[in-house]
Amino acid sequence: MDRFVVSRSHSESYQPDRPRAFGLSIVLICCSLAAAAQQITQRGNTSASFSVRATHLLGFANASNNSTGTLSVQDDSLQFQQKGKPGATVKIALVRDVFLGAESKQVGGLPMTLGKTAAPFGGGRVVSLFAHKKYDTLTLEYVDADQGIHGAIFQLAKGQGELVKSELIAQGVTVSSHQDPSTKESATEAGHENN
Amino acid sequence: MKTIKYDLSIACVIALAAIILALPGQLPGQTAAAKPSGDNGTSATPWSIQVDQVDAGNLDLAYSFQIAIYENLVEELKKTRQFPQVFRDGDQKASEVPNLLVLKTTVEKYTPGSETQRAVTTVSGATKLTVRSQLLTREGKVVLERTVNGDVRFFGSNLRVTRNLARNIAKTIEQSHVSGSGQPTTILTGQP
Repeated sequence: MDRFVVSRSHSESYQPDRPRAFGLSIVLICCSLAAAAQQITQRGNTSASFSVRATHLLGFANASNNSTGTLSVQDDSLQFQQKGKPGATVKIALVRDVFLGAESKQVGGLPMTLGKTAAPFGGGRVVSLFAHKKYDTLTLEYVDADQGIHGAIFQLAKGQGELVKSELIAQGVTVSSHQDPSTKESATEAGHENN
Repeated sequence: MKTIKYDLSIACVIALAAIILALPGQLPGQTAAAKPSGDNGTSATPWSIQVDQVDAGNLDLAYSFQIAIYENLVEELKKTRQFPQVFRDGDQKASEVPNLLVLKTTVEKYTPGSETQRAVTTVSGATKLTVRSQLLTREGKVVLERTVNGDVRFFGSNLRVTRNLARNIAKTIEQSHVSGSGQPTTILTGQP
C-alpha cells in the first residue's frame, strides 16, 4: 500500500542498504529455524514424560484411595500426582505385571445417586439407564523393597489404559500373555446395556 | 508363748504374700490352659500373618478383583490389630518371624453383576463372591477353614464386593479362636 506514496527517488536512496537488509533477513531466518529446531527438541523431551488423568482406586504406594490425579511416566518411575499433595512414586523396574480391564459405572457419584433415589415416579431409574459410562481399569502388580507383592488399580478414560500399558511396555515392563477376563465381561455387559 | 505367736503371725504374712504373688501368675496359666500352648513352648510369642495372593481357580475372575481382594485383606487385617504384623505375599521379612500363619484365599464362586442393572431394577444385578479362606501354619497345618461370602446388592461399583468380602474374612478370623498369642489349634469348617 505504501509503495504508491513513496517516490522513486526516495526508494532509490535506500538501495545501498539492500545487502545489509538481506543479511539481516538471513540472520532472522536462521534464528527462526534454530528456534523451530529447539521447539522440536523440547517436544521430544515432553513425549518422554507421558501423563494421563486417572482415578486411583486402591493400592498405589501412599496415594489415598478413590482420589483423582495425574498418572505419569517420568524417567524410570511411575508417578501418581494429586493436586496439592506430594506425588506417590513406584519405580518401573519394580512393576511385575500390567493388566487392562474395562468397567461400566454410573456417573455422578453419591450426589447423583441420592438425587435419583429422591426422584418421583421412578424417574431416577430412567436416568440410571442412560447415566453410565465405560472406563478402562489398569491393574498393576509391583513389589516393594522386601519383595512383598502389592497391587494397584487405576480407573482411566476409555482408551487411555492401552496407552499407559504401551508406555510401560516401552519402558521395559513385562506383561503376561493372558488377557484380563473383565474386558470380555464388560464387553458382554455393555452389549446387554445397549440392547 | 509370745515368741510362738509372733512366729505364727510372720508365717501367716509370708503365706499370704506368697498367695498374692502366685495368684497373678496362675491366671495367665489358666488362660493358657484354655488355649492350649504349643509343643515347643512358643506360646509367649505372638502370631503374625502373611496374606497370600488370591487364587481364582478355574474361574474367569478379573485380575483387578483378585488384586482388590488381596489389598483389602491386608488393610482389613491391619485394622483389626489382631496380629502384630501383617505380611504380604513374598515378603522376605516373614521368614524371620518365628510364629507365622498364612492366609490362603481361593475363589469358589463368582457372580458378575452390573451397577446399571442394580440402579435400574434394585432387585437384580448383584455382584457376588464366595471364597474359601484357610489359615495355615508354616508346616501346612490348617488352623482355620471357612467359606466366606461377599456381595454388593444396591449401591456402589462392582469392585466394592471385594471390600465387603475382605471385611467378612477379617471378621471371621477375629471371631474365631485364632488369636495373636498362644498356639492356634482350632480347626473350623463350613460357613460362618
